[in-house]
Amino acid sequence: MLQRSSFQIFLAVQKALFLRELSMRFSVSKTGLFWTFFEPFIQVFVMVLIKVVLFGRESENFDFAVFLALNFIAFNLFKHIIIKSMGAFTANKALFVYKQVKPIDTIIARTMVEVFITGVIIVFFLFIGVYFNFNLTVKNLPMVALGFLLLIAFAISLGVFLAVANRFYSSIGKTISILMTFMMFSSALFYTVEMLPFALQSLILYNPLVHFIEMIHGFYFYALDDKFVNYNYMLLWILIPLYLGLWLYKKLEERIISL
Amino acid sequence: MIELRNVTKYFRTKQGKNYILKDMSITIPSNINIGILGRNGTGKSTLMRMLGHIEFPNKGTIYSNHTFSWPLGLGGGFVGSMTGKANVKFVCRLYGCSQKEMKRVIEYTKEFSELGNYYDMPIKTYSSGMKSRLSFGLSLAFDFDYMLIDETLSVGDARFKKKSKEALLEKIKDCNILLVSHDMKTLKELCNAGIVLDNGKMTYFENIEDAIDEYEEINKKAS
Repeated sequence: MLQRSSFQIFLAVQKALFLRELSMRFSVSKTGLFWTFFEPFIQVFVMVLIKVVLFGRESENFDFAVFLALNFIAFNLFKHIIIKSMGAFTANKALFVYKQVKPIDTIIARTMVEVFITGVIIVFFLFIGVYFNFNLTVKNLPMVALGFLLLIAFAISLGVFLAVANRFYSSIGKTISILMTFMMFSSALFYTVEMLPFALQSLILYNPLVHFIEMIHGFYFYALDDKFVNYNYMLLWILIPLYLGLWLYKKLEERIISL
Repeated sequence: MIELRNVTKYFRTKQGKNYILKDMSITIPSNINIGILGRNGTGKSTLMRMLGHIEFPNKGTIYSNHTFSWPLGLGGGFVGSMTGKANVKFVCRLYGCSQKEMKRVIEYTKEFSELGNYYDMPIKTYSSGMKSRLSFGLSLAFDFDYMLIDETLSVGDARFKKKSKEALLEKIKDCNILLVSHDMKTLKELCNAGIVLDNGKMTYFENIEDAIDEYEEINKKAS
């Protein structure tokens, strides 16, 4: 057999896993595929409807539909990376027979698939936005992109930690699924922190996801800013779970493989 | 050469530690086909998995500069919802095959495993014999220094068994095997040396006949 460096092996494994995950998404369940792409559209549609019914049209100085689309794209990416990571070890158990496949590879590959799918969804949204003449201008595109990158880092670091924990205590996975619904309402998705009453603002800012979402829409819209974003708090929430997750993973990797 | 240094392996059970290997040090020379013998539950498969780097000793190290195949057991390593062909492609990508090589492996595996239309159907529709045929055919398409074969030869009908054995005899001209089997005839035919596992001990015999004698001795004592 030809000699390969460990990085070459890693790349080969990533490619193989990525294509496998993708082809499974596209071939196994057609309804699953449908929901993957239409979930965000339905979310945005329903939320716009609720807002129009409750508060009428045109109250902000930014496009509310674009605001929702942006936030839900970000939130769904976060949610899916975590949920998919937690299932990665059990779903790919059969593949650990090949020594090249390390459990953490499956998390990375699943994250890549989620990022790819999110990319496709963004393109869909852009087409619709352009077709229906929505105002899509971005205030600071590099910072929005950085916001997404940080969000992905946050999701992976939580994902690794929760995946290892979930492998040994499966009730964690169920708790997280419930928690995600709560997160949807408490993460500044259909409001900005500024719109909230003062007492609620300081409370909601404990939720780390709020900072990521605020950063993303703060740099997207001219009418918004990032004054509530605490970047140190964000970094803390990326680095601490990442450290804990990798430490725990390193300790338990062999057990995860042979379980 | 495969070197085991102070290897201890146990499984925790409710009754305490169940030892597979207890502080064993052994050196197995290169270029030799080895049969692994032992009663049920003595850890033959665990030993194979340790050599394939998917199970790890509790203490000690296993060192080797050779490449090992994945342990060829009863249809492990496949994803049920994917077709046989897709699974083969996946393994090719893992091993970094080029497009040309991949095509060759796909064709070879298809022909060898005799799956016909099933080759393009999900693995979950396969019988266990079909899975083993695919797994065995796939591993034959690659070149390893050692192939780890765990009872796979005992599946399939008589004709397929014969075919597998012939293919394996051809294959061991360039590579070696570590074979777990309860079929003494197969062991004698394919292996030169033997390892007997019993009660946490692992004994290496330069001659497979001696290993078989020892194994039969153990069996006699047990009954």
